[in-house]
Amino acid sequence: MIWENIHLALKAMVASKMRTLLSLLGIVIGVGSVIAILTLGQSATKSITQTIVEGGLETITIFPDRNDPKVAEFDEEFTDVLKRNVDDIETVLPVNSSSALIRVEQESASATVSGVVSSYATVLDYEVAEGTFFTLADNLSSRQVAVLGSDVASELFPNQSAVGRYISIFRNQAKSYQVVAVMEEKDANFNLQYNGSVYIPYNTYTDRFVKPTYVGSYVIRVADGADALAVSDNVSAYLDSTVGTDAYRIFSPASLAEMATSITGTLSSFLAAIAAISLLVGGIGIMNIMLVSVAERTKEIGVRKALGASPRVIMGQFITEAIVLTLTGGLLGIVLGVSISYIVARALEWQLFISYTSFLLAAGFSTLVGVFFGWYPAYKASKLDPIEALNYE
Amino acid sequence: MKPVIELQDVRRYYTMGEIIVKALDGVTLSISRGDFVSITGPSGSGKSTLMNLIGCLDTPTDGYIHIDGEMTLGMDEKDLAYVRNQKVGFVFQQFNLLAKMSALDNVATPLLYTGVPFRERREIAMSALKKVGLADRMKHRPNELSGGQKQRVAIARSLVNNPSILLADEPTGALDTHTGAQILELFEELHSEGRTVVLVTHDTDIARHAKRQIHVRDGRIGEAG
Repeated sequence: MIWENIHLALKAMVASKMRTLLSLLGIVIGVGSVIAILTLGQSATKSITQTIVEGGLETITIFPDRNDPKVAEFDEEFTDVLKRNVDDIETVLPVNSSSALIRVEQESASATVSGVVSSYATVLDYEVAEGTFFTLADNLSSRQVAVLGSDVASELFPNQSAVGRYISIFRNQAKSYQVVAVMEEKDANFNLQYNGSVYIPYNTYTDRFVKPTYVGSYVIRVADGADALAVSDNVSAYLDSTVGTDAYRIFSPASLAEMATSITGTLSSFLAAIAAISLLVGGIGIMNIMLVSVAERTKEIGVRKALGASPRVIMGQFITEAIVLTLTGGLLGIVLGVSISYIVARALEWQLFISYTSFLLAAGFSTLVGVFFGWYPAYKASKLDPIEALNYE
Repeated sequence: MKPVIELQDVRRYYTMGEIIVKALDGVTLSISRGDFVSITGPSGSGKSTLMNLIGCLDTPTDGYIHIDGEMTLGMDEKDLAYVRNQKVGFVFQQFNLLAKMSALDNVATPLLYTGVPFRERREIAMSALKKVGLADRMKHRPNELSGGQKQRVAIARSLVNNPSILLADEPTGALDTHTGAQILELFEELHSEGRTVVLVTHDTDIARHAKRQIHVRDGRIGEAG
């Protein structure tokens, strides 16, 4: 009986193509926009996450809050304390940073000056382009040497090598530093703005540049193969139990990626919910066309009843017709939604991630719309009086 | 033998506003199996009401109707549909074929409601079409058939469930005299094979083909012949 009903429904659809198409438009647009939003939302999430992941998931940065009474706890020894107390930490790098004006003859640039230990570049896989990164000896004797990020180097020394030259760093007073290395370009990793930085030895920073009362930040390198998100959580848990939740802020690309996923996820669900309202409107369109169809085919219904079709059979026929309609609309909508997603993703150079679950969801939802909005017209058809229906002209 | 159609003091009243219309007002009638009966009467006589009641398209306000042993009093639409499907073969003046389907599919439709599987439906429908002389028109749609052919398809359709009665409502009304005569011949042939035929008509010439003539006037019946 189901196959006969589907067959009849398809026949009825084909018999009035234009009308079918128009009445389906609401469902097509509804399903299409839901699919497009879900697909693009997912693609956006994946693209953002991928950008973050490419930047390197393996670092975590802690910023002590200078206004917190416990800020004094954050000293150089704290790096060892962290390593001892939290698993899967490879290295903890203390970093002090402040912005300063750099001058070379007539050229000047503002840059972030960071006091870092000599292993900084190696630990963060930050490649030297020219020269040699300063050494442990440079650090221990607080030498006035500097390493330039690629942007700073090209700004201060356009078209010439910076290595071996001297720069002046202004902070209260000017001090002269010899450039020992220029770094390769490296994408900013959230809080680590590599290219716009000038690196000087950690001790030089504290002895000769600014004397900080606490360490400005700690960059943690997570052990290879460890789950950065879990390590980040463990670090937070440890800090919460020792210095308290207000004494620090923690950033990790992993948690950032998670946040981005959750934000785009929420946003796209919200938009999809709005788009789903158009499905409702589409459903009303289906109900309308089904009512017209029942009215037009009153005579047919009368004949079928005379031949022995029970009310249930008539109801089944028209519900099936409504479902076939909405399901067709749903399938066309999926095609539309994927096409839109494809075009948008291409334009924005996102990688397209097609969610097949959303296809199932769309198909299921259109079926539901068919049942819901087809029910009343079908019920009406099933309740027609056979004599009146037979005499209907 | 028990009569195939039995009516006992059947009344069918309609209310139109405040007026009660007594379309049938106490009809008692029995038709034996294998009979060929005509029901005549002017329009408004209650002839159509009587036909609808016999065809189980309607139920009486009062009285009993038995169609091949089934009492229709108090039946719901589902049960009535079952009786129509199993016991009654309808033939209409306007043929009432389903326009978008082939002759074969039209003829097979009652079997669909009986729950007969596809292959068997086709076989039964084919042999019914052969019986009415339309073996070569199976794939044709109603609009590709002449009036007489359409009525033959409708008769084939009325036969597929091997019903207890054939109920024909002005079956020649939309046909020319010659074609009409052929259709009447077909009914006579079916009667001679032992089927019960009830022919509803306003035309007394056509009614004369029947073995027994029932006349309806003012909601009551009389007999002639």
